[in-house]
Amino acid sequence: MDANAAKLLGAGIAMGVGALGPGIGLGMLLGKAFESIARQPEVSGDIRTSMFIGIGVTEAVALYAFVVALILIFVA
Amino acid sequence: MWGLVVVVLLAALVGFDLLKAPGQKLEFAVAGEFELTPIVELPTIGPFDMSINKAVVYLWLTAAILIAVAVIIRLNLKKEPGRFQVVIETLYGLAHDGIVGAVMKSGRATWFPYIAGVFFFVLTANLIGLVPLPLAEHGQFGFYTATANLYVTLTLALCTFAFTHYAGIRKNGGLHYFRNWAPPSAPPVLKQLIWVIHAVSEVFRLVSLAVRLFANMLAGHAILAVFFAMALIFQSYLAAAMLQGASVLIYLFEIFVAFIQAFIFAILSAVYIGGALDQEH
Repeated sequence: MDANAAKLLGAGIAMGVGALGPGIGLGMLLGKAFESIARQPEVSGDIRTSMFIGIGVTEAVALYAFVVALILIFVA
Repeated sequence: MWGLVVVVLLAALVGFDLLKAPGQKLEFAVAGEFELTPIVELPTIGPFDMSINKAVVYLWLTAAILIAVAVIIRLNLKKEPGRFQVVIETLYGLAHDGIVGAVMKSGRATWFPYIAGVFFFVLTANLIGLVPLPLAEHGQFGFYTATANLYVTLTLALCTFAFTHYAGIRKNGGLHYFRNWAPPSAPPVLKQLIWVIHAVSEVFRLVSLAVRLFANMLAGHAILAVFFAMALIFQSYLAAAMLQGASVLIYLFEIFVAFIQAFIFAILSAVYIGGALDQEH
């Protein structure tokens, strides 16, 4: 395997495996948030705000993987 | 009825195209869409390259649109708002009640201008990126966002970072602010450990704030570019026709992402500044 193929393979694995955890996390986060909105619709505004903060923080993990994949392809 | 006619005509057009011999092979590289070549070459001052490139023009455009909208809306304020005023009022209300009002406990009046400024700036910059402008190479129309650029997002994140600590020090006093990074009631050795962990998390807040916006906009535009260029990649008119339709959906999703990312950037800025003002532990 030449160096370029290894780079591309590494980038693909980094993005794919890196998206696993945040995917599970986002699913749990959104599921719980909608569950609580359905249970208590009167506080949906507060829940939605915290939900977006949570989404932002969880999503960042996947984006680190994306940046690592970009670095592997274009910089390394 | 007319919809059916249009579909049949389009299908005939596609079928006719499929019968023709494939055209010349064209190369397409996604990475090339995000390269910054200077439009106007200017001398380098110290470590800073002052050349004007695509990103700079997009930032100027963003600022110009924001100023123009602000002036127009101020001059035409009405008791019974028109459509344009309703949109701006809704966004202003979102920044005022949905972001600052929902997250910050004190210092709302002081920090609302900054949070709202960041929100509108990022939102405008993201949305301009979805309008084709003749700024691509050879003056062709193309998509580009200033926020798909780590320099721009890191600068915005550094503003939030600086204002967070400025707000904390001004409200709580320098020594008191930094001492309060760890809870005062914690046992001695654990306290130092918590303080170090908090210091590291402050740096990672800065990094994640910058990288989140950058990576989201870059990924969105890369996907758009790939979908628009499917014809060049697959060398097939059928695949191109189908995936051009899909690219419309991606485009709509990107409008949603532009809003969400501006909202998340502003709300996280508000959370960080609010956290520095009212230290909880």
